[in-house]
Amino acid sequence: MRWACILFPQLAMDGVLRQRSDADAPLVLLAGTAQRRRLQAVNPAARALGLKPGQSLTAAQALSQHFATAEYDPAAIERWQQLLAAWGYRFSAQVSLHYPRCLLLEVQSSLGLFGPWPRFEARLREELTALGFQHRITVAPNPAAARVLANAHDGLAVGDETLHQALAPLPVERLGFSREASSAFARMGVRNLAQLLALPRDGLAKRFPAEVLSQLDTLLGQRPLALAFYRPPDRFEARIELNFEVESHQALLFPLRRLTADLATYLAGRDSGVQRFVLYLEHRNRPASQVPVGLLSAEREAAMLFELTRGRLEQQQLPEPVLAVRLVARDLPPFVPEHQRLFEERPQQSLPWEQLRERLRARLGDDAVQGLGARADHRPEQAWSSQSADVALPPCGPRPGWLLAEPQPLREGSVQVQAGPERIESGWWDGGDVRRDYYRVETRAGQRGWAFRTVGNDGPLLLHGWFA
Amino acid sequence: MSAYAELHCLSHFSFQRGASSAAELFERASRLGYRALAITDECSLAGIVRAWQAAKEHALPLIVGSEMRIEDGPKLVLLAENLAGYQTLCRLITQARRRADKGRYRLLHEDFDAPLDGLLAIWLAEHDADQAAWLLTRFPQRLWLGIELHRGPDDAARLKHLLAIARAYGLPAVACGDVHMHARGRRALQDCMTAIRHHLPVSEAGVHLFPNGERHLRRREELAELYPPELLAETLRIAERCTFDLDQLRYQYPQELVPPGYDATGWLCELVELGARARWPDGVPDKVQGLIDHELELIAELKYESYFLTVHDIVRWARERGILCQGRGSAANSTVCFALGITELDPSRSKLLFERFLSRERNEPPDIDVDFEHERREEVIQYIFRRYGRERAALTAVVSTYHGAGAVRDVAKALGLPPDQVSALADCCGRWSDRPPAAVRLLEAGFDPENPLLRRVLALTGELIGFPRHLSQHPGGFVISQEPLASLVPVENASMAERTVIQWDKDDLDLVGLLKVDVLALGMLSALRRCFDLIEHYRGTRWTLASLPQEDPATYAMISRADTIGVFQIESRAQMAMLPRLRPQTFYDLVIQVAIVRPGPIQGDMVHPYLRRRNGEEPVLYPSDELVPVFERTLGVPLFQEQVMELAMVAADYTPGEADELRRSMAAWKRHGGLEKHRERLTSRMLAKQYTPEFIARIFEQIKGFGSYGFPESHAASFALLSYASSWLKCHEPAAFACALVNSWPMGFYSPDQVLQDARRHGIEVRPVDVRHSGWDCALEDGGGPQPAIRLGLRMIRGFRQADAQRIEAARPFACVEDLVLRAGLDARAREHLADAGALRGLAGHRHRARWAVAGAEPQLPLFAGLTARDDPPASLPPPTVSEELFTDYATLGTTLGPHPLALLRRQLESMRCRSSRELRDAEPGRPLSVAGLVIGRQRPQTASGVIFVTLEDEFGLINVIVWHDLAERQRRVLVQSQMLRIDGHLEAANGIRHVIAGRLTDLTPLLTGLDVRSRDFH
Repeated sequence: MRWACILFPQLAMDGVLRQRSDADAPLVLLAGTAQRRRLQAVNPAARALGLKPGQSLTAAQALSQHFATAEYDPAAIERWQQLLAAWGYRFSAQVSLHYPRCLLLEVQSSLGLFGPWPRFEARLREELTALGFQHRITVAPNPAAARVLANAHDGLAVGDETLHQALAPLPVERLGFSREASSAFARMGVRNLAQLLALPRDGLAKRFPAEVLSQLDTLLGQRPLALAFYRPPDRFEARIELNFEVESHQALLFPLRRLTADLATYLAGRDSGVQRFVLYLEHRNRPASQVPVGLLSAEREAAMLFELTRGRLEQQQLPEPVLAVRLVARDLPPFVPEHQRLFEERPQQSLPWEQLRERLRARLGDDAVQGLGARADHRPEQAWSSQSADVALPPCGPRPGWLLAEPQPLREGSVQVQAGPERIESGWWDGGDVRRDYYRVETRAGQRGWAFRTVGNDGPLLLHGWFA
Repeated sequence: MSAYAELHCLSHFSFQRGASSAAELFERASRLGYRALAITDECSLAGIVRAWQAAKEHALPLIVGSEMRIEDGPKLVLLAENLAGYQTLCRLITQARRRADKGRYRLLHEDFDAPLDGLLAIWLAEHDADQAAWLLTRFPQRLWLGIELHRGPDDAARLKHLLAIARAYGLPAVACGDVHMHARGRRALQDCMTAIRHHLPVSEAGVHLFPNGERHLRRREELAELYPPELLAETLRIAERCTFDLDQLRYQYPQELVPPGYDATGWLCELVELGARARWPDGVPDKVQGLIDHELELIAELKYESYFLTVHDIVRWARERGILCQGRGSAANSTVCFALGITELDPSRSKLLFERFLSRERNEPPDIDVDFEHERREEVIQYIFRRYGRERAALTAVVSTYHGAGAVRDVAKALGLPPDQVSALADCCGRWSDRPPAAVRLLEAGFDPENPLLRRVLALTGELIGFPRHLSQHPGGFVISQEPLASLVPVENASMAERTVIQWDKDDLDLVGLLKVDVLALGMLSALRRCFDLIEHYRGTRWTLASLPQEDPATYAMISRADTIGVFQIESRAQMAMLPRLRPQTFYDLVIQVAIVRPGPIQGDMVHPYLRRRNGEEPVLYPSDELVPVFERTLGVPLFQEQVMELAMVAADYTPGEADELRRSMAAWKRHGGLEKHRERLTSRMLAKQYTPEFIARIFEQIKGFGSYGFPESHAASFALLSYASSWLKCHEPAAFACALVNSWPMGFYSPDQVLQDARRHGIEVRPVDVRHSGWDCALEDGGGPQPAIRLGLRMIRGFRQADAQRIEAARPFACVEDLVLRAGLDARAREHLADAGALRGLAGHRHRARWAVAGAEPQLPLFAGLTARDDPPASLPPPTVSEELFTDYATLGTTLGPHPLALLRRQLESMRCRSSRELRDAEPGRPLSVAGLVIGRQRPQTASGVIFVTLEDEFGLINVIVWHDLAERQRRVLVQSQMLRIDGHLEAANGIRHVIAGRLTDLTPLLTGLDVRSRDFH
């Protein structure tokens, strides 16, 4: 077997840069705590300003103000690794992410398809460059040796007979030993693999942990390396070809019901839900129409999924007859079932709330249905939000259930003051400071309102809300 | 209009709650015509002395009190009716504070089981009233129900509800304000502090914020609108009952130091006489005896005997345990203190007069600071706690206040700025600046000062600066009392375990008349004591601070050459630059030298006039004849804080009391202002006496300069004694001195490497760390010549443990590495440290072999002892190269005995035409030249506008470089980041000092790759 190691020397940086149009402008990635931000990675332009990984942000800003920053995101690195592994999977059935920021590919068996190696290698490089990832590629008879060689080489391919020779001059600290072992070798004056191999094996065994000798053996191909191989991710995709060209929504409902039911079965099987999926309607002469479906929370009940998709589908114009329907679901989060009561109290005909909510959203649009939550703010107009949240609230007096969007002047003498003033002075921090004296008032008709007057102002009372 | 007294009011000593100072509160309360104002900080009396001062200033009665919440119980405001009530309050606060961590309190129901005489309670009832019965049993006839109305949702209903409770329990009701700020304008700051307290941005702190700004000192008309008149009238009844005044506190120094049969005066006389006989074994000279009698008389008259006895007792105890100490401060440099051993400074050596420090007229308490060896001060502190008990001895508090950076940081965070910007804003403030960042700095840092959010940040920062932030412990200021301290002032826990702190800081103590002894730590004393020990061990001679030969010309010659690395106080770059100009020849010259290189005299522009006069370049003139005695000893130039006070008394007819007030104002003006009235007073009175306006203006500038950095003559004299002693030792016992410094590290200005390099340049042999010879400390060995050699100790090995070193010393000698490992019981870590440091060269050879050897040396079980180890074939390992040795030396020992790094690079540097520090000594000034060296120091003196002093070191010595502001800005990166620098510039020489003025900087750090050179930056 021959193993290629593709090393991505600046994966995090490339991942950010490929999304930016100004890739040549100075950019640094930041990590560390909020108090002690430090530079995790820098691009060449930033390096030219004197910025180095490990510097504190403060120190970097002392050197220059002219650089952009982005977050160093380990999760993003993981995603890029997955992406690259998926890419590599096209070239080899044995792909491994065993080493971080590295792709291991078994290439011997793929040579027939993509080879010979120089052509294969050129293709890999071409595609990686197009994807925007810097890389180094080495090939060796075993994955560990390929990985270690990539530390010092790019484009080197060695076979069994040249492996020893290629490894011998490599510095000890780049051979994949633990930090302690590397530093112990350095302190003994052992600088490269050749010197290391010249030491008595018994003497080494006595002085170093077993991993050192086993890593040595692995490098030289005398001991296999156990690799976990990459598996492509799970996703749901199903397609139904129709027997005839369908021009009405009505005729699509049947295949739709099947697809959503299959999806529900599939979801149940893997104990997950779905939060977003896309329905593709394939046509003869034009790209497929897409019907994206999004949910507020992960669901998997067949009837509900069908109902929703149907709602969305019915809003869609069909530009051409439909030949096939395809459903693709990639977002499959874990499903947390609603707690069910033992004795169902809900009358048969009524919809459960979740289903009603989703139907309303599907019919009226995503923005038309919103949650309602409280905010800890003394200003009445700031005391609520469309984000439902569980927050502690300051103690306050009675508040009206209906707050007017805009306060309205009250006619003089039209109301009677029941209580007050309650003074509210707050909000200076966002420029929206209010200073008001609030009164509970009652109209002649017995309506109870809430009205205020700005402190130090003699104008009419402004009605701000109605009590129920 | 109804009369009113506010009975519930927090000052900013309720940290992060109160948003106004006592001064602001009293000012407004007095303007509004309040009859009295209670300051009731939460479980604290930390701000009460300041409140007392403010009350006096505004002639408005202060009621001493505190707001407290009982754990799982009601919230109360407790007010001191009389002295007994005050003492009870102190006891309650102490109990509550002592059982909680620093900054918190836990008040329990059981704390109220003891008698509560003289304490009035206002109960701030909430919804339930079930505590009423219990409270009534504790405060019979002394309990009120407090009613606080703040324009809440329904004040009328609330009032009705509370009055009903009061009626139900037969309690009188009283109006209170729950005041958190003096005026409504502090609402934003109060919200902001609340957010800071809860570590939330203001926008998310809604649940904690007050709904409005009513919690301020409201106008009496407003109060009359809100409260029924009888509730307001009740405030006066309470205020009238509270007659306690801090004046009534009586403080007594501990009495037990006086043995039976003596009184304090007699016992002090006896001790002084004994001491004097020891100091002057051939008989006390008449002049000295006269001084002693005079001083004792003064001490007796001012009743300070117990204070001197207390200090003496501490010093005596330390001396018995061989802890070196030295007193300083106003009363320390007296003949009495010399006789008592509190100071080693013989007053007859200096021109100092006791009278100047302790005066009959000035009501200034004696002030003695005692420095102890820094490593052993803790022993002294524990002795004091043991001797007097925790009830009677505690540390003084220090009120940490908000400086610019801290304030802007907290405010910006509270206003929701992201952490990066918070840090950037804080960086725009100087380190100790007391102003919000300047607009120019903000623009530089990329902020828009006109941005509304930023303007809010800056405005609030300005208000917050100077506010107290928390109480911390004074480094060593002890208050000791005859009575339990908790009857005088509340005592709380410090953040350090085993420490207790009173709630007052040193200014408060002065005002209330408490005396404090400062027990401070000084590294140089550790070094001196070690040096005396080393010399005694090596030569058999025991020196003491007092017995060292005085006025030694060789020592002064060395000082004048600025050959003072390691010497106390006069070793810094700035001091070294001054030495060849001042050329100290006598002890008093040293006193001046110590005091002159300080921001005070430098900002007041006193240095150059003094130098010119001393060198005879300008005549010594006095502004008037009456000032001759004041300024004679400093050639007519005011250099010391004491001289300013004398000047005020002589030239502006200040009374001693006014002079003392001036001293306090000088110390505090930066934070609190208050110097303006002195400017007016000084100016008008001095003008009347025909002093020129220019002179007066200059004096006043100097007074401001002294403000933060004032260095009194009394301290300078004590420090000069240590400077002299360390200089003498460096001059005559350089090996012992260097050895002692290294053993006392960390201390002082230079690293062990620099001290050892300096010693080697002076011809001292330094021998490497070696397990066969080295102990834990560095030691002296016979060097064959007049000076011993220094044997580096195992303490030099970074990360090595003292216990391992002790076992090695005990188990010596060793046959081989296995023998060492086995008998000294060394674990892998210790073995590797020894091998890497080269300490095994005598047993195993070079470092690489040593490392291989220790890795294979396994401690054997006793059973197998004597059997040969498993077959261990020899390994061939290359010896380290010279530069590897150098790198490893620095990495493991922090110094090298091999060639200096620059010596290895010298040929390269020569090819770059860089000169060495040796060549620089003979170079011609004015000509362009290049130098290179390791950067061992970068300093930006606050007084030198933007100039940076860089110190370079090479194998021959130091090179002083001056980088002007423009260049520093242009080449900031090179300047700040380089470990090794090349400077192209030109040489300047004057009065024996040589500086290279930098024209261009080049970073040569790559030549050093791998070397850990530690520079002292910007200290």
